[in-house]
Amino acid sequence: MADEKIKIVKDESTSIYKEWETWARKGNFRVEGYQFIKGPCGPGKIEDAKMGEFMLVNRPHGALYTHSYGLVSKFFKGLIEKTLYGTRCPVCGTTYCPPRMHCWNPTCKVAETEWVELPLKGEVHTFSVMLFSADAFLEMLPFVLAYVQIEGSDTTVPMQVITAPTEVFVGQKVEIKFRDKRMGELMDMYAVPIKGQKVPEDSCLNNPEYLKDMERDLQGTYAYLEKRFGMKKEDIEKRWKR
Amino acid sequence: MSKVAVVGGGIFRGDRFRYENAEEGVAIAFRDLLDDTPELDPQDIDFVMMSYFSDHLNQQLCMGWIIQDYIGLHRKPGYRVESGGSTPLDAIINAYYLIKSGYYDLILVPGWEWMSEVDTATTNEFIASASDTDWDFTVGGYYNGYYACLETRHMQLYGETIEDLGRIAVKNHNNATHNPYSQWRSEHGTGYVTLEDYYNDRIVAWPYRRMNCALISEGACCLLLASEKVAKKYSDTPMWFEGVGLGTDSMRPGDRLADWAYYGMYPEDEKIYPSTVKKPKTPYPDMANFGSLREGAVTAYKEANIQNPAKEIDLAEIFAPYDGVELTLYEDLKFCKRGEGKTMIREGIVERTGELPCQVSGGLTSFAHPVGATSLMQSLFLYWQLAGKIPEKFGDSTLQISDAEKALTTGHGGTGCQGGVIVYSR
Repeated sequence: MADEKIKIVKDESTSIYKEWETWARKGNFRVEGYQFIKGPCGPGKIEDAKMGEFMLVNRPHGALYTHSYGLVSKFFKGLIEKTLYGTRCPVCGTTYCPPRMHCWNPTCKVAETEWVELPLKGEVHTFSVMLFSADAFLEMLPFVLAYVQIEGSDTTVPMQVITAPTEVFVGQKVEIKFRDKRMGELMDMYAVPIKGQKVPEDSCLNNPEYLKDMERDLQGTYAYLEKRFGMKKEDIEKRWKR
Repeated sequence: MSKVAVVGGGIFRGDRFRYENAEEGVAIAFRDLLDDTPELDPQDIDFVMMSYFSDHLNQQLCMGWIIQDYIGLHRKPGYRVESGGSTPLDAIINAYYLIKSGYYDLILVPGWEWMSEVDTATTNEFIASASDTDWDFTVGGYYNGYYACLETRHMQLYGETIEDLGRIAVKNHNNATHNPYSQWRSEHGTGYVTLEDYYNDRIVAWPYRRMNCALISEGACCLLLASEKVAKKYSDTPMWFEGVGLGTDSMRPGDRLADWAYYGMYPEDEKIYPSTVKKPKTPYPDMANFGSLREGAVTAYKEANIQNPAKEIDLAEIFAPYDGVELTLYEDLKFCKRGEGKTMIREGIVERTGELPCQVSGGLTSFAHPVGATSLMQSLFLYWQLAGKIPEKFGDSTLQISDAEKALTTGHGGTGCQGGVIVYSR
């Protein structure tokens, strides 16, 4: 092993390194713009504030990180290959998805775990309906963010459930699917509800008032998406109306 | 071992934008402390315990050095404490440990955060990099989403309603209108809101509306901690530490279904688990409750010799970035049993006129939330409360809780990955 050199087995990196070169130079923390403003300032309560003059500068900064997935790399490689893996502790039998290479059960004394292939099935443990999100995910709105317990796993993985936002519930059975373009990140997979399930009476979202307010604010999100990205409500709804 | 007290504080009001920079804001808060504490000679300060959360927000590492230098305390020993949202509480507790152990007599704890140098979405992204960036951040969540998921689980298990979350929001916002240092009052004035206003507010991540979520703020606060030996020199109304406790939980909330570190620790709380829902391997905390705060409370109550927190605590300033956290912590802090958080708000116990007022300042959703300063602001508010100084400080006696003897405050980082509790007395 001493003679072994680092080898690149597959390379999907070159283009981003090239593309990022220009960005890295832009994001160098140099001042790229400035403003003079007048704004409230000073000590004390709100009513004590005075107006002061300030100079604001714009300083961009960006970076390209090259990050190792470490010993759980196999999980992310699995996503690219459309296979779902977890790990199992040989001592206590706990199955982890997300995988951890060492069991965290204190009685197992950091035992090394073993890889297991998991079925592409699971259950919604809990969820949120996201009507607003961070920049990178705006075009995916509205979406259901859920923590899904994969069948056979004792923990949950966060992922999006592609469903009408009013129809998700705790305990919903889902099937795991993979996106066409996969980069080796959790977003490569998503869940869709298994057909034929009814929203239970006691689902915490199953309340006519809640659903009415949700519909109202969904319209707000659609209007925002149309204005910002020219997206159409009908097209957005096609994601889950199949 | 020495007793420890908070003997003073100063504030640089939090708001969405403050145009003084961080060191100037801290200096103004420090001057506010000096004005309020005439006996304090800056040379008396033994140690500077600095509190700020994010290096990303201002692209400045080691900002603590700038702060210490700017206020002329750079000869003194000092360091920065960082633990996400728990940062300011942990800074206070660190200072407490150093005094309690006899190393120092007088410690200044400056805290600050300047969160508006990048746009709101980027601020959210930077804060979300406190979540696991391989496993939680990449699916579009960020903290609104994670906390919404935790609250959904708690709702499904224990049946609180949107109205309960609304009542908490209305309570906190209306309290803040009487707080002349609050961001809500700065942005919206002194008019009260109603449940109707809450229902008309936009949902950002169901079950949370905007009003349920913490503010983004810029602001600073300084707290002065002293040993029993010197406390009376600086304050006629010291606020004594009765007990402190820290706790931690898993990094990823999704792992709390097989949270072996908690297995069997709280059997009574595991038992109160509804049969209608599939039971995880570790029913406590699951993705519903906050074990880190439970641990912190157990330790703090033991040190403070508190048997029945609901009866013995007179008011609480909870570090609740979302209103469901406040409701859940009524349970984990043992103000009530697991699953009964909803009754605390329904019966008005946590209103400012109730038996155990919570978030009288307005809390993180309405007072302000410049992360590194937040718990300092909440502790300073309690210092004013226990000293009966609210009417004098606010020019309005509405928020003064009369005859309060014991107060509690908490810290809360990540999705409850880290937590802490302090019990104070007058």
